[in-house]
Amino acid sequence: MRNYYKYLLILPGVLFLTIFMLVPIGMTIISTFFPNEAAADTSNYASLFRDSYFLEILWTTLRVSIVTTIICMVIGFPTAYFIARMSAKMKAVLLILTIFPLLTSPVVRSFSWMVIIGRNGLVNEALMGIGIIQEPLEILYTPTAVIIGLVHLFLPLTIITLVGVMESIESDLLTAAASLGASRVGVFTKVVLPLCVPGLVIGGILVFVGSFTAYTTPALLGGQQRVLSTLLYQNANTLNDWHMASILAAIMIVVTFIVITCMNLLANKLNPRR
Amino acid sequence: MSLFTLQDVTVAYQKQAILQDFNLSIGEGELVSLLGPSGCGKTTTLRLIAGFLQSKEGKFLFREKDYTKVPVNKRNFGFVFQNYALFPHMTVFDNVAFGLRQRKVSKASIKDRVLRVLDIVSLRGFEERFPAALSGGQKQRVAIARALVIEPDLLLFDEPLSNLDANLRVNMRVEIRRIQQELGITTVYVSHDQEECFSISDKVAIMNKGIIEQLSDPATIYRQPKTKFVADFIGFKNFIQFDRRRQESDGIAATVQGITLTVQQQDNAGGLVGAIRPDDLRLYPLDAAPMTVENAVQGKVLISTYLGRSYQYEVQTSIGQFTVNDDAGAAPLANGQDVVLEIPKKQIVLVD
Repeated sequence: MRNYYKYLLILPGVLFLTIFMLVPIGMTIISTFFPNEAAADTSNYASLFRDSYFLEILWTTLRVSIVTTIICMVIGFPTAYFIARMSAKMKAVLLILTIFPLLTSPVVRSFSWMVIIGRNGLVNEALMGIGIIQEPLEILYTPTAVIIGLVHLFLPLTIITLVGVMESIESDLLTAAASLGASRVGVFTKVVLPLCVPGLVIGGILVFVGSFTAYTTPALLGGQQRVLSTLLYQNANTLNDWHMASILAAIMIVVTFIVITCMNLLANKLNPRR
Repeated sequence: MSLFTLQDVTVAYQKQAILQDFNLSIGEGELVSLLGPSGCGKTTTLRLIAGFLQSKEGKFLFREKDYTKVPVNKRNFGFVFQNYALFPHMTVFDNVAFGLRQRKVSKASIKDRVLRVLDIVSLRGFEERFPAALSGGQKQRVAIARALVIEPDLLLFDEPLSNLDANLRVNMRVEIRRIQQELGITTVYVSHDQEECFSISDKVAIMNKGIIEQLSDPATIYRQPKTKFVADFIGFKNFIQFDRRRQESDGIAATVQGITLTVQQQDNAGGLVGAIRPDDLRLYPLDAAPMTVENAVQGKVLISTYLGRSYQYEVQTSIGQFTVNDDAGAAPLANGQDVVLEIPKKQIVLVD
């Protein structure tokens, strides 16, 4: 009996999440099946998945999120590996530099990207100035611009997560692998990479979910190109169609859960321990 | 015929030299221990041999080939780590097979060799376990199997038993010695535990501040330490700094502060410091001392401590303070009691 006292410790957190998260989310999802307060109705879902405009937006959102996640991993992994092997002092400095961009709001950062990649922005001016291109590149207000903004937003999180995991790898494991005949590449692919899988998964989930649900960055950098979150906003605030907005929210939640589950399964397959 | 030689090697971290003009030569099939207090350079020496670190100066010759610049993964040495360093994401089988896979050994042959080596370390049946599900002793045996399976030219142990409990440590060291002798692999073994080193080694190198103070078989080190450091390290607690020594017909007459002690003839020359173990000294109450006491020195008991099997006394004499272990059978001596200290001449070793 006495053991049950320890559950009191999580009671505040559980209550908070239940009242302010689980119940509202549950109500939102349930409400999508009852458009007219009558019998359950799934025709709205069915028609939505036949709507090419929605499907195009869903696909764009997924594509942007996946590409962002991959880019963050590809840039973040070597950076984190470099930071993790520094001396304690250097590591602290580099980690602070990594976190620094997080101190400015996404709005500010999105606006600065407008200045950089816009029609008359730094990038186009520079490229035309040295004569590589004749016409300015159309980067701003495309999915590419959204991806650039999101990578900027989520790279610090990726790096911090990966550094944490890499630091926990004992350096003796690497020397052990080398002493058994593994080359540098072998040590990396056979020991470092598999041991980083938990970090890659957590980082991947963070970036994917963050990108999938981001609003500010796609709203400012995406222009006419809608993603799910901006479509949801449009339905709720401009069109006042709260029912459709709820359906979109439900779809986003389900997709997120599917992705997290898949990544966890993948992680268990790549990195068994017990 | 020596298998490998370290020649005038210097290793430094930042500006501090860990090893300076260090020399070591080990013969084929021997088990040599490097023994010393922490910071003496024993682990550095081992890591240098393994190739984990590079020497600033000097050479490492292996079978008369220059190995100084040969990278770790081309050396074919087995290394057993203090913390085992098993790959946590691999099963016991995969851990042991790692080295063979790097060597592109065929699948059938890998299976064969891994199972054979698991037999040697008595871990058959544990192939599918992950390291997290093993006890400390089992982990260490996997680590040994992993180093053995590549049929290394040299086996290196870095304090392999220090994370195990006392009983297991004794069993494992017997095991290590058995495997080493069965396979005849030349082995370098690092430890700070004297008993451990003495019990398994053909030769022991006692290290201090980056140099080898003495390299001999364990019995010689135990009986005939060469330097004061070695003597101190292996349990000679009492030291007498003699002023001068003179060769006599029946031994050596060594003088300190006007008192001359007879010391038995030394096998090696020795210096002016006399070393005696606490167990080898004898104490008598001043009024009950027998007539024939060798090298009698008068003194006073300062402190007595009960050790179970014996009493330990700190005795102050005119030639210094002595630690004496005396049988607990007799009536204990009181603090402050006047005593006669006997320093048997056979038990005095003259060291540098």
